[in-house]
Amino acid sequence: MSNPIAAGSPILEGRGLVKSYDEGRVEALRGVDVKIDAGEYVAISGPSGSGKSTLLHLLGGLDTATQGQVLFKGSELGEAVDLDSYRSRRVGFIFQAFYLLPTLRAIENVQVAMLALHEKANHRAERAAALLREMGLEARMGHFPNQLSAGERQRVAIARALANDPTILLADEPTGNLDSVNSARTMEILSGIREQRGMTMIVVTHENDIAHAAPRHIRIRDGRIES
Amino acid sequence: MASQLSFTGFAWKNLWRRRLRTFLTLVGITMGIGAFVALVGFSRAFEHEWLRMYTSSGIDIAVVQSNLLSSSIDESLAAKISALPDVAQVAPMIFNLMDLTPEVNALVYGWRANSFEFDSLTLLSGRRFHDGAPEILMGDLLASNLQKKSGDTISILGTNFTVVGIYHGGTALEAGAVIMPLDQLQNIAGMEGKVTAFHVKLRPAPAGEAQDAYVKQASAAIEAVLPDIKAVPAAERAANNQLVDLAHAVAWGTSAIALLIGVLGIANTMAMSVFERTREIGILRALGWKGRHVILLILAEATALGFVGGMLGIGVGWGALRLLSTLPQTASVVSASVSPWHLLDALVIAIASGLLAGAYPAWRGARLSPVEALRYE
Repeated sequence: MSNPIAAGSPILEGRGLVKSYDEGRVEALRGVDVKIDAGEYVAISGPSGSGKSTLLHLLGGLDTATQGQVLFKGSELGEAVDLDSYRSRRVGFIFQAFYLLPTLRAIENVQVAMLALHEKANHRAERAAALLREMGLEARMGHFPNQLSAGERQRVAIARALANDPTILLADEPTGNLDSVNSARTMEILSGIREQRGMTMIVVTHENDIAHAAPRHIRIRDGRIES
Repeated sequence: MASQLSFTGFAWKNLWRRRLRTFLTLVGITMGIGAFVALVGFSRAFEHEWLRMYTSSGIDIAVVQSNLLSSSIDESLAAKISALPDVAQVAPMIFNLMDLTPEVNALVYGWRANSFEFDSLTLLSGRRFHDGAPEILMGDLLASNLQKKSGDTISILGTNFTVVGIYHGGTALEAGAVIMPLDQLQNIAGMEGKVTAFHVKLRPAPAGEAQDAYVKQASAAIEAVLPDIKAVPAAERAANNQLVDLAHAVAWGTSAIALLIGVLGIANTMAMSVFERTREIGILRALGWKGRHVILLILAEATALGFVGGMLGIGVGWGALRLLSTLPQTASVVSASVSPWHLLDALVIAIASGLLAGAYPAWRGARLSPVEALRYE
């Protein structure tokens, strides 16, 4: 367990990040340097194929860079920090397509994130229930994903992202599959969570409203940071 | 109370979601384990019955030519064996498997009326046969199957025999058999003056001498006076005669093929399952599941298939043995008794099959890159 980090100190840093595919023929990121402070709320926007999701995947330890380093509290991911442990304990992911497991009920989908950790089954269930209540889904805990609306599914996914009490929340187009009402509600929930828990939050979005609502906005194009 | 999700519960849900495939896979492993329980159980029980038969009738040594199936020895050699100081009694005998009716075949023994081997049998009705007479004794299991009783007649290889008694024997090899005078069996089998084996009963071992060593020493003495003849301790003969070896070979060979089909069924199911769940595995990896957790999940599913298939297979195999032990065609050589160790073997093989079949899909699942798996359509 690493030491807590004071708000305003760098929690996540990308140095010279290059990500190429197809034996170097496709470059998604071409040398990105980025520093995120603890408790910061950052929006990353850019056109389709600009590399914004790739950057989020590298920062979240879902993928590794072809060149460059990602540092979490100054320690390099994949070297000093084990990627699996980082993903399970330090970051929570929210995806555009929700990625809930279809055979599991809402409450089980939240618990599945905790199965990899050594925690008692009743604690897992109680925590999942508490998170779903927090998301306003008390009456929907026993429902399967196909019995939930898109907005409800995304709220289950948010609860799942919070299951292991991460310090960083990473959201990849969290409102991409939602109507305007549910989009607004989802962003409201995410903002509330960030403020209440003092979490660092990075949201990848192509929606200007969401990008501009963030205190810090990173624009990315052709694999490079524009501003 | 909030619904709890356990690791095993998650594995079970994954199997349950593809019910038909899970069911068909279970059928495959059930058949494999069923075949193992029935066939290997039969061959082991067959060996055990031989041993019991030798033990209960007081046989210490079996004297045979080269092997049980084709052994043919001059009956006159009995005198040389009887003359040895440690030998108490010698029983010349013929052993054969014959068709008694078009549907029923049975073991047929040729003994002398004064054979010590009668001591282990209980006469339920009638009397013992006379040497030289066309008379037989019939085991109670066979008599029941053929609906014969004392006084009835039966034709064997064209000769009519009178059933003069019904006996009970402690093993299926006796209870399902016919015993006739040695000379009568020599006549109908074309073995005049020949026998299959001599069963030898020794005098009690001298005080202080180990029984095994005493029997081996007596066997060596017999072989010394009868060159080209083998004198085999009874326990060894029960385990290593050609009928038992043949039964073991057929049982293991057939079971191995059936088990291989079962293992391939599980491997196919798990490989398909991993392929279809590529994105789900990516989600689990994104949530921080380590490669070993994915391996554990897939192996748990494969092991569950092996375990459930194993339990069902044990039921099917045991049921088949019980059925065979009651059918007239097979009752004389099939015993329904199955050792608990054999059932444990079957369960261990079933679980090991699941682990083996799940190993590659599990390894493949664990190696999936989270981000590649999430992109998988």
